[in-house]
Amino acid sequence: MNLELQLELQAYVDGELPARQTRRVEKLIAADPEARALVAELRATRSYLVGNEPEYSVPESREFYWSRIEREITRAEAAATGPTRQAAFHWRRWLAPLGGLAAALVLGLITLHSTDYAPLGSSLNHLAEVENASEHMGSFSFRSQAENMFVVWIYEKVEAVPTEPEPQVRPVLNDDMGVQ
Amino acid sequence: MATRKDYTKLDDVALVKCAQRSDMRAFEELVARHRDKVYARAFSMMRNEDEATDVSQEAWVKGWQRLKQFQGESSFVTWMTRIVINLCLDQLRKQKRQRAESIELLEEESGGVERQMPIVTTNPTEGLERSELRARIDRAMRQLSYEHRTVLILHEFEELEYKEIAKRMECSIGTVMSRLFYARRKMANLMASYKREEMS
Repeated sequence: MNLELQLELQAYVDGELPARQTRRVEKLIAADPEARALVAELRATRSYLVGNEPEYSVPESREFYWSRIEREITRAEAAATGPTRQAAFHWRRWLAPLGGLAAALVLGLITLHSTDYAPLGSSLNHLAEVENASEHMGSFSFRSQAENMFVVWIYEKVEAVPTEPEPQVRPVLNDDMGVQ
Repeated sequence: MATRKDYTKLDDVALVKCAQRSDMRAFEELVARHRDKVYARAFSMMRNEDEATDVSQEAWVKGWQRLKQFQGESSFVTWMTRIVINLCLDQLRKQKRQRAESIELLEEESGGVERQMPIVTTNPTEGLERSELRARIDRAMRQLSYEHRTVLILHEFEELEYKEIAKRMECSIGTVMSRLFYARRKMANLMASYKREEMS
């Protein structure tokens, strides 16, 4: 009996053969005593295995066994959530200095830009109010090529009284900066 | 006054529902109930206490992590058993890659020995108590290669079809059929030899 036939007999025992093949194998079993004996052995082996699986118990106490599972679950959950929290913390920590740096860069760029297009004679000294998004902060920049100096002055806006018109440039600031 | 929930009185379905809502005490009860069954499957495949303990605990951790995916299509313990089987198969594949292919293994794959074995015509389990029968099955299983043992476990104990076994073992259906055939032939002959030992 070749292997192909033996495997076919096994598939018959396991109910994995299509109907037409099953009928053919049944005829073969009826005619061949060796095939019949092999089918009987395969069936017997199957029947004493099914339902008689050896039983084994965990060689540890319930508490000890569970403690390691619990620890692993906790560790895995901490590992899964940890980096996100840390990343958020890092992001917030750098928010203020990065924001400040960005604001200074924007002010600098705006000032340099306005200098490039200014009339030649007026490029030695500049004083300009720079737009900024904050309603509580104002800023001036001052640049002197002769002195090789560039200053950005940031000040806190005092709330205007609604009935009075808002001044264009606050004199007190001009005084502070020593500008005539 | 709040009373402490008695998890031992809840059935598996209720415990799973609690555990799916992150109730770890409910999950602990499920572990306590089914730990032997999950461990037994790991041990029957790994044949090593430490490895079986590690793999079964890993299966419980994975079970917790994937619990929300459990839809209740099978029983909880069947679902857990499938997880531990997959972990065992991964582990065994790793071990197989690490060790060199032996001549014995090549012979088993080609069925060199098992095909020559005589057909067992007597009943090797006759007159055995269930515990004795289980002990003999255990002894015979130990003699099998991991490929033969695994295919027997998946077919006879887990009642999986050829196609499903092939998928899990990452091999062809033909390989499953030949492995199962050689495993059964070897098992039948080992059981017959134990019977002869008993008689002599």
